[in-house]
Amino acid sequence: MSGSNGGNNGGSNGGTAIRAGRGIAFRLSALVLTAVGVIFVAMSVATYHLAREALLKNAEQNARTQAQALVQRIEARLAPISRVPLALGYELSDGLLDDAGILRRQRQMLLDNPEIFGTAAAFEPFGRHPGQEYFAPYTFRAPLGITHTQLGSAAYRYHAMDWYQIPRELKEIVWSEPYYDEGGGNTLMSTCSVPFYKGQGEERRVAGVVTADVSLDWLKRLVASVNVLDTGYAWLITRNGTYVTHPAQGVAFNESIFSRAEEHNDPELRRIGQDMIRGGSKLVESTSLHTGKPGFLVYAPLPSIGWSLGVFSPRDELLADVNRLALVSAGLGGGGFLIIALLTAAIARGITGPLRRLRGAAREVAGGHLDAALPEVTSRDEVHDLAMAFGNMQRSLKEHIRDLTAATATRERIQSELRIASEIQLGILPKTFPPLPGHTEFDLYASLTPAREVGGDFYDFFPCGHDGFCFLIGDVSGKGVPAAFYMAVSRTLLKAVAESVAGAGRRRGADPNGAAGAQRRSLPDPGRILARANNGLAEDNESCMFVTVFCAVLDYTTGEVHYASAGHNPPVLLRAGAAPEYLPTHGDPVAGAMPGVEFTTDSLVLNPGDALVLYTDGVTEAMNPALELYGEERLTARLAAFEAGDARTICEDLAKDVHAFADGAEQSDDITMLVLRYNGGAPDSADKT
Amino acid sequence: MECTGSKQGAFYVLEVTGRMDALTSQGFETECQGRLEAGDKRIVADLSGLEYISSAGLRSILSAAKRLKAAGGDLAFCGLSGIVSEVFTVSGFAKLLPVYATREEALARS
Repeated sequence: MSGSNGGNNGGSNGGTAIRAGRGIAFRLSALVLTAVGVIFVAMSVATYHLAREALLKNAEQNARTQAQALVQRIEARLAPISRVPLALGYELSDGLLDDAGILRRQRQMLLDNPEIFGTAAAFEPFGRHPGQEYFAPYTFRAPLGITHTQLGSAAYRYHAMDWYQIPRELKEIVWSEPYYDEGGGNTLMSTCSVPFYKGQGEERRVAGVVTADVSLDWLKRLVASVNVLDTGYAWLITRNGTYVTHPAQGVAFNESIFSRAEEHNDPELRRIGQDMIRGGSKLVESTSLHTGKPGFLVYAPLPSIGWSLGVFSPRDELLADVNRLALVSAGLGGGGFLIIALLTAAIARGITGPLRRLRGAAREVAGGHLDAALPEVTSRDEVHDLAMAFGNMQRSLKEHIRDLTAATATRERIQSELRIASEIQLGILPKTFPPLPGHTEFDLYASLTPAREVGGDFYDFFPCGHDGFCFLIGDVSGKGVPAAFYMAVSRTLLKAVAESVAGAGRRRGADPNGAAGAQRRSLPDPGRILARANNGLAEDNESCMFVTVFCAVLDYTTGEVHYASAGHNPPVLLRAGAAPEYLPTHGDPVAGAMPGVEFTTDSLVLNPGDALVLYTDGVTEAMNPALELYGEERLTARLAAFEAGDARTICEDLAKDVHAFADGAEQSDDITMLVLRYNGGAPDSADKT
Repeated sequence: MECTGSKQGAFYVLEVTGRMDALTSQGFETECQGRLEAGDKRIVADLSGLEYISSAGLRSILSAAKRLKAAGGDLAFCGLSGIVSEVFTVSGFAKLLPVYATREEALARS
């Protein structure tokens, strides 16, 4: 339970710490909206520029057209007016009119043309009547009606006046600079002067000039009344550059386009003025000096009168449509963007909603709550697949954990049983050292280090017969539980057989020569013990297991040892003061393999200080990490190097040395050793029995 | 451990190579059982290629020999050397089972 809680805490802590960034829904929305935003802005900018271009082009065209239309309207009225004096000129050239006819004709002219305020027919000096220098009848509108007078006198020498001189010299129609005729109703006037001729071909020469004083108030009103958008305007200049009309107060007749350019230090305006009085026609971008706004100026000449018309259109008003269009499209785009944002957020949340619920469930599962309910995913998409896969994982995990729990329980049960078996196995080995309290004739120590919980090695020792002491060591083939069973059987059988043989020997020895000491002291024969044990073990040995045994019987009063080996490693004999040597063996077979085998018994005599070292192949076949064997040579070399000590010291030193040699390599076999050291027969020990 | 065999006269010769230990020795038993079921009761195991034999290997040999004997056949050995020869000697298997120095000697017996 505590583990599960710990996992849960860890899971939830980990869950909150996993993601510092934003979720999928946020990222998806941000991505889509960024893309849409960029596209939208790009489209708006492009649309604005394209529309602006198109509208500007259109506006330019409109400005030109408007100026042109105005020019045509003005021309439509000016052109006929200039033809009126021209017609009179032709008549005078013919010379058919008498003086009264001229006056009649002039009166008729005024009656027909309300714009014409007055008209004169001025002749060259002495050109009409010989002896009369000045002849210039002038008919004009007086407050009380049309009347006439004669111009020219010593005080008014009209031949030197501009209105007469310029057209005479230029031989063309000339309109004078505008002026206010204070006598004639204070209206804006300009005089149109037309030369007329006498004679044909080479003889043709100027005979005089016909004038018409034309009121141009209508022109002023017309130009001033032209509406150019809201703040645009039109203006007129004469052929000298003098303003005839201008929206600004006090400019007309007081300033010329050049004085204005000088005043405002505007060379551009000067260039425009120069082009205008030259009769040029153009559209230029400029800034109005009147309103301060940038815009387009279209100018065009009025051919009949030689003046020039300018029309200024402010740019911002031309672009008002474009700006309105941009504003509308920005509004529409912004609204669309908002709708897309809401939709994207909704869709993204719709997609990630199940994922978020799944994540919650996953955290619960990760925290150990395997039965956590998974969210229902109704869509048939990847999230659904993920949920299905997660469900499968949850089920397999549950099954796996159930199996694992069962397997762990089984293994723990087996481990526990093996532990108990190990305790039982080690428990049946004798562990009383020294083995016979009170007997100092010999000293014995043994140790067994199992490779696994249970193993096949064993040793045993027990008193056997009169003054006899049996000790043995064994190694069952194979390892583990089967070996352990076989070891238990072998050890029990060997002890039973040894005691039985000892008893039989005593009886046999007692019968024929009851008094003979030598016979009484006869000891059980190890070869016989092994032969009988072998028969017992080989019987019904279906598994074909076997055991190697070295069995010896010591007469501790004399140091005599009888021994036999059933396929066991030869023990080492440590004679005091001599090199260790292996006991020779006869190659007798292992016990339990075949019944009816004979085992040879050998004997030797231990002198005080001599020792026998019995061991199993776990010692000589101990392996180090380099896969080298401890080996028999090393065993004798180490035993020779040990300082002479008691059995326990030899045994423990040897075990330590083998352990050091293995250097952490895994122990593959049981390591068992038994050391018996003979101290010499005690003089009183024989008397005790 | 590898077992390769061939019929030579009355005998079936089984050449055993590699290591014969607790992990592999069952293979030898199985091989001999297979031969027995195929009708070859007299087997000569040539151990000249065997590098190592453990007590578990000896148990397998003993088991196979007992089965063949029970069926009226036998299991002989030849070509023992080094540690294998030593193990056979120390364990007394050299006394329990027929062991020959060479394959020819093993095949020459009656």
